[in-house]
Amino acid sequence: MEKLNSDSRENNLINNILMSNKAFLMVIIMFVVIASLSDAFLSPTNLLNVLRQICVNAIVALGFTFVIGSGQIDLSVGSVVGFIGVVMAMLMRYANVPVPIAILCGLVVGIGCGALNALVISAFKLPPFVVTLATQSLFRGLIYITTKMTPVTRLPEAFIFIGQGYIFGIPVPVYLMVIMIIIMYIVANRTMFGRYVIAVGGNPEASKASGISIFKTRLGIFINMGICATVAAVILTARTASAQVNAGVNSELDAIAAVVIGGTSMVGGNTNIIGTVFGAIVIGLTSNGLNLLGVETNYQIIAKGLLILFALILDSMTAKFYANLRKKQALSSMEK
Amino acid sequence: MAETVLNMIGITKVFAGVKALQNVELELKKGEVHALLGENGAGKSTLMKILIGMYQPDKGNIIYNGKEVQFKNIAEALNSGISMIHQEISLVQQMDVAENIWLGREKQFMSSAIIDIKKRYAKTVELLNELEIKIDPTKMVKDLSVAQMQLVELARAVSYNANIIIMDEPTSALTAREIELLYKIVRKLTKKGVTIIYISHKFDEILEICNKVTVLRDGKYIDTMGIENLSADKLVNLVVGRELNDMFVKYQTTFGEEVIRVENFTSAGEFYDVNFSVRAGEVLGFYGLMGAGRTEIMRAIFGIDEYTSGNIYVNGEKATIKTPNAAIKIGIGMLTEDRLRLGVIHSLSVIANTTISVFRRVCNRFGVFRKANELNVFQEESNTLSIKYSSPYELIGQLSGGNQQKVMIGRWLLIRPKVLILDEPTRGIDIGAKMEIYSVIDGLAKAGMAIILVSSELPEILAMSDQVRVVRDGKIVFECPGAEADQVTLVSHAFGV
Repeated sequence: MEKLNSDSRENNLINNILMSNKAFLMVIIMFVVIASLSDAFLSPTNLLNVLRQICVNAIVALGFTFVIGSGQIDLSVGSVVGFIGVVMAMLMRYANVPVPIAILCGLVVGIGCGALNALVISAFKLPPFVVTLATQSLFRGLIYITTKMTPVTRLPEAFIFIGQGYIFGIPVPVYLMVIMIIIMYIVANRTMFGRYVIAVGGNPEASKASGISIFKTRLGIFINMGICATVAAVILTARTASAQVNAGVNSELDAIAAVVIGGTSMVGGNTNIIGTVFGAIVIGLTSNGLNLLGVETNYQIIAKGLLILFALILDSMTAKFYANLRKKQALSSMEK
Repeated sequence: MAETVLNMIGITKVFAGVKALQNVELELKKGEVHALLGENGAGKSTLMKILIGMYQPDKGNIIYNGKEVQFKNIAEALNSGISMIHQEISLVQQMDVAENIWLGREKQFMSSAIIDIKKRYAKTVELLNELEIKIDPTKMVKDLSVAQMQLVELARAVSYNANIIIMDEPTSALTAREIELLYKIVRKLTKKGVTIIYISHKFDEILEICNKVTVLRDGKYIDTMGIENLSADKLVNLVVGRELNDMFVKYQTTFGEEVIRVENFTSAGEFYDVNFSVRAGEVLGFYGLMGAGRTEIMRAIFGIDEYTSGNIYVNGEKATIKTPNAAIKIGIGMLTEDRLRLGVIHSLSVIANTTISVFRRVCNRFGVFRKANELNVFQEESNTLSIKYSSPYELIGQLSGGNQQKVMIGRWLLIRPKVLILDEPTRGIDIGAKMEIYSVIDGLAKAGMAIILVSSELPEILAMSDQVRVVRDGKIVFECPGAEADQVTLVSHAFGV
């Protein structure tokens, strides 16, 4: 068999720019569209509002990027976020635990839940989908039991400030989000762990044969998810000034949407942190835009679904297009 | 003069930059048994997969019964009268014989919405009796022996009343008695005007049952001959055929201490009682046909697969290897045969693929790395390999097969194993890149690495090996020093002639 030349450097460049910045382009288009349809959109209050509203989802989506990048999924995130919120709230309200300690405990819970998911998946070699589907109910059940179905209110002022306060005119959650973005970007692109996540997602067998421990990588991914869930839970609980029994329900879908729109492939093999951020912004803009235009919330869910479909189809079409292009090049160079 | 029932002309098929088939032709006359012969990677399977509609040719025509056809899927081919017995058993284990044979064709047994099971059994019995195959149609396939499964496959292919039946290694699990039965069935079929394509590496069978032989080599059509004047020797030469230019001469080096020794190495069903040892600086070449068991032996040594019994000694010390990680830790490295599946990580760049196994060296205490460090580590080895890439940061999939393979070798060089197993290291790679890889291997041996070279390419084995072993059916059947080995002897042992 003979080798053929692959003259595809240009191909690859265009491919990369288009693929990784799909969400960025969408953000720009949406900005223009909404601004032209609504005067209220470009006001600083509104824009800051949007930023604050996307914080929780964005942070969850950051952790989710690693999960999906490794070819796995975590359906229990929403429940974990709710559970962490409940634990922190109860400690602060009923046990008078100081805010920092309560948050630390929340972190322990988050890491614990993540580790539980990873351990069960690895120990029994079960599909992540199935395991996290089960733990989703498990953790939600724990919330119901501990709260006896009543929300936990009257939280300390200091804690509430994290969710509702402003520093230099910018909502506190936004600072947290930015810090998380920086950290997650470094983890994804500048650490051994981040490299292993992509390797495992792209080719688990090859990764094993290269000496990578799938078990350790998985543990790291789910624990990381737990850490992100904790930060998200802090913001969510502080913003609503209470731990709601149904906090976080269905938030996995929003997270998956942000990741997918951002360009991280569902199949695994890449982690596009910046893309996920733009994906979260797209979702935030969609809600905000539809709100400003007076569209009912029911229709907004439909809009979200269509958005995800659109992003996936665009992904699949561009991938096919470039695959065909490469094949045509290979065949034509054979004729030389 | 029998009529031509099939004519494949100018068939070309390209996979991701590799020419699997180049301008291949095949002409079948009605009622003949036509052998398709060639080494691993010659293109036989690809050609047949195109015929039955699993792949579409990139170029070329297929003329079937006088009309040009292009089957878009297997169902089309089946309905047009071309069926195939696959090399790998493709039966549903949880269903019985009858269900499997008529899988997909249940309508003939249905008057309403329910399958008449009795009717199906009856027809199965009729079919099996006519073929003189003694198997109970109600038995579950998973309870059959492998030989019986192959016979069920045969029955299924025949039941399509096909004009052309492709038989891909139909006797791999059969005993002498069952092979006689197969011959009987083949003769019956050809008397009825059925044409058979017989893919096999068993020369005695080809000489016994076939009328014509077409030889493929490296994806190209070589020749078609009538069986009358052929003998085993002549067939060997047809298969091997190329002139052995001294394209590469490996310099004899002095060998060091024994680095790895394998004793009584057995894995039930895969390989038996394998014994060999390799010294520092030595290249031990393993030749054999696909499925002979060489890869299985190596995968077990490297910890990818389990084995039943036997011992591995590295530098004199007994080694327990249960995972690739463990193998790497004691100094064994392996460039796997299926580099796409087990080696190359497509989601990573060229440089990432190289440094992935030694990443600890690249990162600081916290596991964070700087791009500059990675580049340094990468360039330690990549310069000697002359890998052609536009940028080390491009995705590895952009590189040609040969260069991807060099990246894989680079990965292992960074790990600096004591013994490196290379499984088909130059498969699918052009001659220029092959030569470069040979000199890399030579360099490694000179530097004291022990090398195990598994290859199905004769020139490669003959050029590179200090010692040669031939494997067949999971056993080492022949050994000799590299300098004394010759093509015909090796091929004869590999084919079992």
